[in-house]
Formats: sequence, structure tokens, C-alpha cells
Amino acid sequence: MAWETVIGLEVHVQLLTRSKMFCGCANKFGAPPNTLVCPVCLGLPGALPVPNEQAIRLATQAARALGCTVHTRSIFARKNYFYPDLPKGYQISQFDQPLATGGTIWCESPERGRIGIGVTRLHLEEDAGKSLHDRIPGKTAIDLNRAGTPLVEIVSEPDLRSPAEARAYLTILKQILVYAEVSDCNMEEGSLRVDANISIRRPGDPKLGTKAEVKNMNSFANVERALIVERDRQVALLESGGRVEQVTMLFNAASGTVKPMRSKEESHDYRYFPDPDLPPLVLTQKWIEEQHAALPELPEPKRERFMTRYAITAYDAGVLASERPVADYFEAIVEAGAEAKSAANWVMGEAMSGYNETGRFGVGADRLAKLIGLVKEGVVSLQAAKRVYPELVDRDDDPRAVAERLGLLQVGDAAALGAWVEEVLAANPSEVDRFRGGEAKLMGFFVGQVMKKSGGKADPKAVQPVLVEKLKN
Amino acid sequence: MSIGRKDVLHVAKLAELAVSEDELPKLTEQLGRIVDYVAQLNEVPAGEQAPPYLAGPDKVTLRPDVVAPVPLARPPADFAPEFAQGLFVVPRLGAMEDQ
Amino acid sequence: MSAVELIASAVREGRTTAAVAANEVASRLEKTAALNASLNWSAERLEAEAARVDRASPSDRAKMPLAGVPIAVKDNIVTTEQPTTCGSRILEGYVSPFNATVINRLRAAGAVIACKANLDEFAMGSSTEHSAFGRVKHPDDPSRVPGGSSGGSAALVAAGAVPAALGSETGGSVRQPASFCGIVGIKPSYGRVSRYGLVAFGSSLDAVSTFGRSVDDAARVLAAMSGHDPLDATTIAQPPLVLDPPRRDLKGLTFGLPAEYFPRDLHKGVRAGLDRAIKAVKELGGTIKEVSLPHTRYAVPTYYIIAPAEAAANLARYDGVRYGQRRVGPAGDLRALYQATRGQGFGAEVRRRILIGTYVLSSGYYDAYYRKAQQVRALLAEDFRRAFDAGCDMLLTPTTPTPAFKAGEKTEDPVAMYLADIFVCPVNLAGLPAVSVPVGRSEGLPLGAQLIAPNLAEARMLSAAAALEAALDAAAEVR
Repeated sequence: MAWETVIGLEVHVQLLTRSKMFCGCANKFGAPPNTLVCPVCLGLPGALPVPNEQAIRLATQAARALGCTVHTRSIFARKNYFYPDLPKGYQISQFDQPLATGGTIWCESPERGRIGIGVTRLHLEEDAGKSLHDRIPGKTAIDLNRAGTPLVEIVSEPDLRSPAEARAYLTILKQILVYAEVSDCNMEEGSLRVDANISIRRPGDPKLGTKAEVKNMNSFANVERALIVERDRQVALLESGGRVEQVTMLFNAASGTVKPMRSKEESHDYRYFPDPDLPPLVLTQKWIEEQHAALPELPEPKRERFMTRYAITAYDAGVLASERPVADYFEAIVEAGAEAKSAANWVMGEAMSGYNETGRFGVGADRLAKLIGLVKEGVVSLQAAKRVYPELVDRDDDPRAVAERLGLLQVGDAAALGAWVEEVLAANPSEVDRFRGGEAKLMGFFVGQVMKKSGGKADPKAVQPVLVEKLKN
Repeated sequence: MSIGRKDVLHVAKLAELAVSEDELPKLTEQLGRIVDYVAQLNEVPAGEQAPPYLAGPDKVTLRPDVVAPVPLARPPADFAPEFAQGLFVVPRLGAMEDQ
Repeated sequence: MSAVELIASAVREGRTTAAVAANEVASRLEKTAALNASLNWSAERLEAEAARVDRASPSDRAKMPLAGVPIAVKDNIVTTEQPTTCGSRILEGYVSPFNATVINRLRAAGAVIACKANLDEFAMGSSTEHSAFGRVKHPDDPSRVPGGSSGGSAALVAAGAVPAALGSETGGSVRQPASFCGIVGIKPSYGRVSRYGLVAFGSSLDAVSTFGRSVDDAARVLAAMSGHDPLDATTIAQPPLVLDPPRRDLKGLTFGLPAEYFPRDLHKGVRAGLDRAIKAVKELGGTIKEVSLPHTRYAVPTYYIIAPAEAAANLARYDGVRYGQRRVGPAGDLRALYQATRGQGFGAEVRRRILIGTYVLSSGYYDAYYRKAQQVRALLAEDFRRAFDAGCDMLLTPTTPTPAFKAGEKTEDPVAMYLADIFVCPVNLAGLPAVSVPVGRSEGLPLGAQLIAPNLAEARMLSAAAALEAALDAAAEVR
């Protein structure tokens, strides 16, 4: 390829606190407009910010989960600009002394394999409100419920080399942050937002090309799409002898295109200076270590542990470790006595489809372990167990009792099996003749027919001797 | 003079302050005098390393994560210049719209 | 007994009621209306305020340190019962939906909010000529200014309309008018009193401060509202200020005289007033010590970088979107709204400071101005620390370089106006407590002397100020 793509990402993530960053208003989505507001987040004259301890804690945990150094001293700064959803005329952020710097996110590049992407910095700030342009004809309407929501901004190094890598990076970043319970990273509700910087250059060129910023992507897939479109635009531009301007491009998901923002990007002069309302944020190393220690096991180490401890494949371990509730559920089933491989199959099969629909597991780990045990002990067949499973969802019934009620307990009793076998033989005279004529492989067909006849109840191991016996005559 | 008409118009734009042509000469002259006056600080040899001086506490005290907003004695609708459907209303943003 | 304690003790003991005191204040506010010092008050509201105190149970009332004491409040401290305008068109008619912490605390202490007091717009000025609601007149000479920016509060106390008042300081805005008006003004340590509800000007400098006709009056009001506030991250984790018992002498105390505050060309009356104070200190058994604060001359330029920079950001919220006056510009779009609202809503001095503050923070100038000013600020604070470390319990200086000047004298020359704060603004930059006490008069105009104390040493500073006050006849002409 004649061009190398260089991408860096700026990701804004809302933190899962009860209250806002600098005031006691509730931090929640979906309330009627301007009902979660107070003097502080309305920017009323005389109001003052006081930082939320939990936001600091979550940001510290996020930073450590991304391998960053968390600084014992950081400074809140005012970023000055006018916008109607920015109540104070400045955003409280961090500038030259951020909370954390220097981390790495490891992810799987489709082109380059395992890559470490540098995290330049992670800093704390407050969210702005929302400007609604379609609510009142000819006007802009402002909802300040979101104003003051705690955010961390995570800035990557320009280490990504393709739109697909950008997507892989985001997927892992989200996995880690959700794991750490720092954020729900819900892009639809705006709790994770991505701005991308992209430029192209000739491979081997040490200098970066002029970059464009791409905004307004509402899913990771769209980040990838937008970056492809923008990369192709830049390539076409340069190859036709043009020049890339430093612009901000807005992605339109409906048309799959990017277009430059209408407003001229004047060189932004945010006039950052330390916020005099907020003395330095001073953390002790001990406190930082305590927050790190309180982090749950993160996806990467968990995946590795699953592979070694449970002897499951890298793929299975990856799927099971991708989300904490899934991993926890899997381990609880194993804990309750089920064999790991069967547990993995059940979780990735039946259980996962329910989880994907409802966001939770409808069958308790102990009962699923019991069901798995019934299969292992030969009490029910795997086929029968899969018929038992739906009956267990959102109920407390014992798996064995359900199997019994449904008449799915395996039948190994020769008399009962004999009746099904005779019915099967009677219904398939030509196969019987062929078997007797030496086509031994038809045994499988007869076992299957008996299983079918029995509605899965027949114990396949016991069926064969009965068949052998009856076919002799 | 350290500050000219162009500088005044530039900072007026940053500060979103309308400055009329009539007042510009006098304002430029006054601001120039102030800037020249405060520029005398440059004669002070100051240690570059010194952290900025802080009156008051040397570190910020944090707030527990509790939902407890200071209540409003009057709702936003009472003090907003324009308010409809629970929302503050402003004219179209024009060029600022797609930010 | 001080005026504050006279009223409070009488109300506590049931010898009079808050309503009687409020009534008296209403008639005095009427009589002093020509000063243009009071804003937004009414007899009805005063009555309602007083009724809260009178309705309280006698046992509750007995615990109120300021029971029934009427207090004027500078109109940059937010109250829910009347407008808070900051002396600005941009906030004309704005009624805050919450009360400042100091208001809640004063009310809990039994105080009656008498009226709001006129001020320089957003507390920016040294003469109270920069109010959208007209200039405040000096009570002794209407052709002169009362000082500023808390000139309305100072004039009301000096004229006897109220026994005490709240002002605010960013660069001397209480001590300077106290000196001009012949009353006491106390600026507490930065962080001693909550700023929650004080409309921000220079956040790292701002301090709610008090006026009284005696040290005791101003100190009692200060003590009642002091102490840590969880709503202000810059308040110090300290319980409310406890005042020292009055002292008769100054034995064992050393008063530093910083050479830089006594230039050879100091106004003769001011110099004579200070000589009188120095003599009194010695007579009371105090020790005088010459000291030097070498960076003093850089205080005003430092102040006029830091304060406007912070102000430019603090005043960005007045954009006509959520509250206050909105003006729609000719283009009809949002940017036009911003520029018209702010361009027409702010007065000349406020606009100058916003522009200066924006300039010193803007790209390419930050290091030369803002960062440099922060460094010099540290040097100024270090000057004070050295003087205290050298054995000074407090410093004694003039409060102002001259007595009250004529209205209009400095309005066209901002730098000349700024220099009126040359002796008061270093204290704000260092965050220290200070008090101005009257020391006499020169050609009929009051003069003040200033005591500056180490951080959080208000109690000792105020007891010394009271001893000095008792030894001086503030009404007498100095020679």
C-alpha cells in the first residue's frame, strides 16, 4: 500500500457516579429536561464547584486499568469558550497537569497481530449540557441535565495504523472500562464518545501528515466506516496533487459520508488556566494503590487464567472473558461442580442467547451446574437437557424435577426400550433387511430412530444391546 | 504602545463583547496603558520553578458521592430570558451549530 | 458596648424586638437615601426579616449572637428575597434562587438583612462610581467618593443607617472604603469565610468582609459567618472564628512598619495619622520594628493581571442564555446575542477588565503575563512571611495613600484609580487577614491605618485593633 494511515483517538467516557462531578445533582440519563440542575451546574452567580470523591476514585481506577501512572498532584483548569450548553462559559477540565499519563492498551490488530497502543493521558472533566436543534422551530433548545456529569478523557498516541485497528482499540478500551465498572460505555446514550484524528503519509516517512479530526460517530462500526471514508478522501486528495487541510469532519451515518464542519475552525484559543475555585487535587500513593487493588480482574489476565485453569480454547476463553457477568457466570457454574468444558459450551450456547436478549442469565449457576451434572451422570441426554433448559428460565424449579415432569429421564430398562425398538423395526422393514444383509452401519440409524421415538428419553448406551438382540431374530 | 486596535478586536471576539467603532480608539488607548503598566512585572527576576502561590487550602477537599443538590427556590423558568417545554431557548446558533 | 452588641443583647433579653430595630433602620435608610448607597429594600421586607427573629422561641433567641441586628449586604452576595444585581445592567432584576452561605449563617445567628448595598459593578472599582445604578456619595462630602468597591456598605455604616454591613474584597474593596469613610473594615484570611453565594470576581482573591463603626461590631459579624463550608472547596477546614477577649494594652506585641508603605512623598495627613497610630502603639506597650517588603511596588501590576484573568472567566457566564438581561443583536443569531448582551450589559470598567483578562491569558501572552504574575505573587507572599518570621506579630501601615478623592477625579484614568489600592491589594494576593481602623481626620476627611496579620491570626489582630481604636480619637484632626 502506498500510504500509511495514522490514527489517534480521543475518547470521552461518563463515569458511573451517583451525583455529578462538582455538585450534588443526580447523574442519570433520561430525566425530563432541566430537572437535574442546581446553582452549580446552571452556572448561577455565586455557585462554586466541589469535586466528587467517587469520580476521582473511578478515574484513578480507569487510569490504572489502562496501565497509566496516576499523579499524586494534578490541577483542575478552566477551558474557556462560549457555547450555549456550557453554563459557566468555561469547562472545568485538566490541562498541563492531568490525573494520569503514560498507559498502554493491548489489542489484536487484524493486520499486525497483537499491538500495544500508547495512552498519552487520562484526565477528569465535566460534561456540557445538550443543545437540541430540532425541538423548537428556528431555535436551539438547551437541556442542562447532562451539564456537570463526570467525564474522563482518554487520549491515545497516534499509534493506530488502520480504521480496523481503531475499532479493535475501542473494543478493548470499552471492555476494560466496563469491567472496572467505571462506565457503562453506552454509545447510544452518549456515555462513550469518540473523536478521531487521522492523517496519511508515505510508509517510512517520520513526519506526520496534516490531520483531520472526525466527529459524530455513534458506534464503533461507524468509527471504522468514517475513518475509511476519511482516509480514502485524503488519499484521493493527495494522489490528485491536492493538500489535506486541518479540518474537522462530521460523519453522517445515514449517507456514510464525511463533510467539513460549517463553522470555520478558527485556531481555538481556550485560555486554559488553573481553576482558582479548586485547590490542587492531591492523592497519596497509598490511596492510589488501594484503588488499584480494588479493581476486579481485567479481561486480559482473566482470559489467560481461563485458558490455563480450565483448559479451554483461546477462543472460548476470549468469549467468556469478554464481559464480566459472562465470566462470573461461567466460573460460578464451574464452582458449583460442573465440568469446565461443558459449562463453557452451555454458557456460550443456550445461556448466551438469553443473555444477549435480556442482559442477564435466567437460570442460576447452581441449577445449570445441576443440569450439566444430570447429563454427565446419564440421567438425561444432552438433547433432553436442552429441552429442560427453557423450563428453568426465570423459575426456581429443580432441573431433575423438571426432567421428570417432562418425562425426559433416560430410560435404560430393557422392557420399555424393547417396545420402542420393536415399533422402530416394524416401521422400517427394508432397513432391517439391509442390516441383516450385512449393512452394519445402519445401527446408527436405528439408535437415532429409537431416540426419536422415545422423545430423547431412551439411554442411547442401553438402546444398542436391545437392538442387537432384536435384530438377531 | 503594546496593544493595538487589532489586539482589542481579537480579544473582544474571544470574550464575545461587542465593541463599537466609536469607542475603539479610547478603549485601545486605555487598555494599552494598562498593559504597559502591568508589563513592568517583567523586570522582576522570578524563579521559574516556584509553584504558583495559593492562598487557602493547599489541597482540595472532596465531596462524598451523595445526591444532595442545593435546592432552587425558584425553577429555571422563573429566571430564564426564554424558556419553553422545559428547555432554555436561544436563537439558532448559525455558524456555531455543528460544533 | 458596641452597636451590634447593644441591639443583640437587648433583643436576646427581650428588652426590645427585632421589629423595633428594623423599623428604626427603615427610617434611617430613608434619611440616607441621597447617598445612593442602598438598593432594593422595603419596609415590608424588613418587617418580615425581623419577624423571623421575633417569632423564634426566647430560648432560641437567647443563643443568637446577632439577634435582631440589621445588616446591609453588598449586592454581589446572593439572596432569595430581593434582586442581586452586582450593580450591573446585565443582572438587573435577577433574583437568585439560592442564598449565599454567609446569608444563611447570619440569619441563623439572628441577623436581619436590612438592604442590599450599591457597589462598583461586579466589585470592580475603587470609588463606587462604576455602578449601573449611579455613584455612591461620601457621607461627609457628597462631592467625594466613599471608596470602593464596597462603597454602598461603607457609606451606610458610616452614615449610621446600619450598625454593620457585609462587603467583599478582591483587592482592598472593604478596607479602602472603610478608611475613606472613617469606619472599621475587616478582611479575613482567604478561606476563612465561605464564598458560596458571593458573585465571583477574582476567585483566588475574593473574601466576604465586614464593616462596623467599631472593631467589635465588624468582628462579631465576621465571627458569626466564618468557618468551613462544604460548598466552597477553598474554605479552610477550621471551625468558626473565636474572638479574643478585649485587651487594654499591646504589651508583648511587635508591629512591623514596612518601609515601602511609607514613601517619602506620602500624603502628609496620611503620614500624620500613621504617626499618631505608631505613638499609640508605643504608649500601649507595643514594640515597633522597621521591616521591608521589597516586592510591594509590583503588587498592583500583579493584581491587575490575576484579578482580570480570573474575572474574564468568571464573567463568561453572563451570556443571556439562562438568566439575566438578554439583548438580541442585529444578526439575530446566537453570536450576536452574546455580543450584544455582554457588550451592552457590562459597563466600561468591567469591559476593560474582561478584555485585559482575556488578553493576558490568550495564546502567546500567558507566560509573559499570567504565569509571571503568579510568580511575583509568590514573592509578595514570601515578603510577608519573612516579616512575620522576623518577629513581627503584625504589620502597621496606612490603608490608603490619600483621603477620599473627588468623584470623577480618576474615572478616565484606570491606572490612577488602580493605584488607590496600592496598600491594600498586597494583602489579598497573599491571602492574609487585615483590618483598617480610623486614626483621625485630615482636613475633615477620615484616615485609616491598617493592621496586617499572619494567616488565620484574626483573633489577635482584632484584639490589638480594638486596643488601638480605644486609644485614638478618630474624630480628631491629625497634625
